[in-house]
This record gives sequence, structure tokens and C-alpha cells, in this order.
Amino acid sequence: MCETCGCGNPDETNIHEPKHDHEHEHQHEHDGYKHTHPHEHAPQKVIDLNKDILLENNRLAERNRGYFEGKHVLCLNLVSSPGSGKTTILEKTIRDLIPTHKIFVIEGDQQTTRDADRIEKSGAAAIQINTGTGCHLDAKMIHLALKKIEIDTNSILFIENVGNLVCPALFDLGEQKRVLVISVTEGDDKPLKYPYMFQSSDLCIINKTDLLPYVDFNVDNAMNYAGQLNPDIKFILMSAKTGEGMGEWYDWLEKQS
Amino acid sequence: MHELSMAMEVIELVQHEADKNGVSDIEEILIEVGDLCGVEADIFQSALEMVVKDTLLENASVRIIRTPGKGKCSACNVEFEMKNRLDFCPDCGCFASEVSGGQEFRVVSLVAE
Repeated sequence: MCETCGCGNPDETNIHEPKHDHEHEHQHEHDGYKHTHPHEHAPQKVIDLNKDILLENNRLAERNRGYFEGKHVLCLNLVSSPGSGKTTILEKTIRDLIPTHKIFVIEGDQQTTRDADRIEKSGAAAIQINTGTGCHLDAKMIHLALKKIEIDTNSILFIENVGNLVCPALFDLGEQKRVLVISVTEGDDKPLKYPYMFQSSDLCIINKTDLLPYVDFNVDNAMNYAGQLNPDIKFILMSAKTGEGMGEWYDWLEKQS
Repeated sequence: MHELSMAMEVIELVQHEADKNGVSDIEEILIEVGDLCGVEADIFQSALEMVVKDTLLENASVRIIRTPGKGKCSACNVEFEMKNRLDFCPDCGCFASEVSGGQEFRVVSLVAE
């Protein structure tokens, strides 16, 4: 590792003997008499790695990204807390856009195929990944899912991540954009509590705005907090139930394609 | 609990490197965890202890070095210690928009027999 800037060449593995500049003897007893003799350590190897622990995930994510670019697929990673309305937004989006767009969905949940079933009813091909005890999707799961679902060129692929604002933030899946969904039935201080997710997202949809008259959620506060963490993040106020903000969402999607 | 997945990534990475270097018994592993990398060092260490059984890290001592978080103010370019991603710049009081240190999360080295 460079001692000035701390960087390390990930491909460079350096092996050397450990520094060992002391000598010592040890002493033990044999049938009532003591003697000493030189002590030798078993030979050791120090392997300098300086390898990012997420290296393998990031390598596979880049591979996924290359696959999407090669097929002109717009891949979006939808992240959120549980119950913010991701699946409902997706269902409505598919119903509205399926006449003019090819849409595919990878669903991530700990258990059940309920979401994939809902998505297929709205008209898009879907594949469910059950993460079991896992709390997030990673690039390898997407890589394997892509082998099971034939994605058309010039299509949109939505990856609906596990509802969790913590763990999915650290795992690049190879998406072009990350879309974060929160809802007004949650606290408006969500960005302060889950900064990594807000920092790593490109678009924040604030859903269930039809409920704003009945809850204490302050939209300006939420947007200010998120903007402080990530000055580039965009916002769409949406109610998947009434249709508010859906047009703006479709315009945003068109700009990414 | 992504720390558990990270711990399993470490075992895969170490196994790969051990195979490459022809070693089978790891005595010590040194891991760097930045304070702003999104992984809690204590939870990660416990997670690693949970998953090392029957792996080549089973008898390894795990050493973790923490790297403090650093921020760089986007307005006045001052570098300062950042404990939280929303810390103010201590010089001009504005929000630092850039995390400049403490995002490391890597296996630094292994000691093998």
C-alpha cells in the first residue's frame, strides 16, 4: 500500500516474510533436568492484499452493467423501506407503459412470490428472487437471474429490491440509476436516519401524497435533509393511488432511456 | 444485517487468495474498516466470528483497524474530521458535500503458516 495516499493496486499481491528481528531461546524440563535450545518459528508468509471486500460484487455489477448497455436496456434499482408502495407504483407503471414499452421485472423478497405474481398480472414478465434470510440483493443474484429471464433489447428492467433502507445501499447491482421510494406515512427525517441510501440514489419518489392532509410529514423538511446529503438527488411527489406525479415519473423514465 | 454477507465475502476472498498463494492455514487477518463505509466494525467482527467455523479462517486472529471519517467542505475546501455524514464544516458552518476519508473496507493482509 502507498504510505502517502493509502492507495493500493488491487492486482498487486505482495508476499514477504514477516519482520522478525529478535532471537530467543526456550527452556523446558526432561526427567528432572533443565536445558535450553534455540527456538525456531514455523515459517510464515505475510500476504499483502489491499483488496476491497466488495470487489467481487462490484466486478459482477460492472459485468451486469455492460450486459444492459449492450442490449440497450434501462435498468433501475428500486429501493425503499417496507410498505412504501414500490410494487403498487410498478403495477401502475407497467399497466400504463406496456402498450408502448417492453418491461421486465426482477423481484427481491425474503419469501413468497406474491410480488412477482402481482407484477405478472399487470402484464410484464417477472422473475422472483427469494433471499431467504438475506436482507438485500447483490450483483451475483442479478447475474444469475439474468440467465433465467430473456431480456429483450431496448427494454426497461426494474429491479425491486428488498424493502430495507440500510443494506441495499452498499450493493451495486449494475443498474444505471437508483430510485428510492419513501412515503408520507413515514417520518420526514428518514434521510437523516438512513444517509447512505439517500446519498447513493438518483431519484427520490415521495409516495402516498394523497394522505398528506392526515399525517405530520413535512415535504420540505424531507427534501431539505435529502438535498443536504445529496445535492444531485431529484424528487417526484407521487400518489400511485390517485395518479399524481405519474406523468412526471414517465417523463423522467423517457429521459433515461 | 449486511455485515454477515460481508463476512462471507471475506471468507471467499481469503480462500481465493490462499489457493492462489498455496497456503492453507491463516494465522492472522488484518482488515481496515472506515468509520463512514456503512459497515459497523463491531457487528462485522462478530459476524466474521460466526461464519469462520470449518473455514481456513477458523483459527485466525482477526485484527481490525478503524480509519476515521474525513470530510471536505465544498465551500471553503477545509478538511475536517467527520463523525457523521451530516456534519457541518467547522470553519464556515456549511454542509460538507464530500466524504474524503473513512470509506475504506478492505482486507489489508494475511499472515499464513
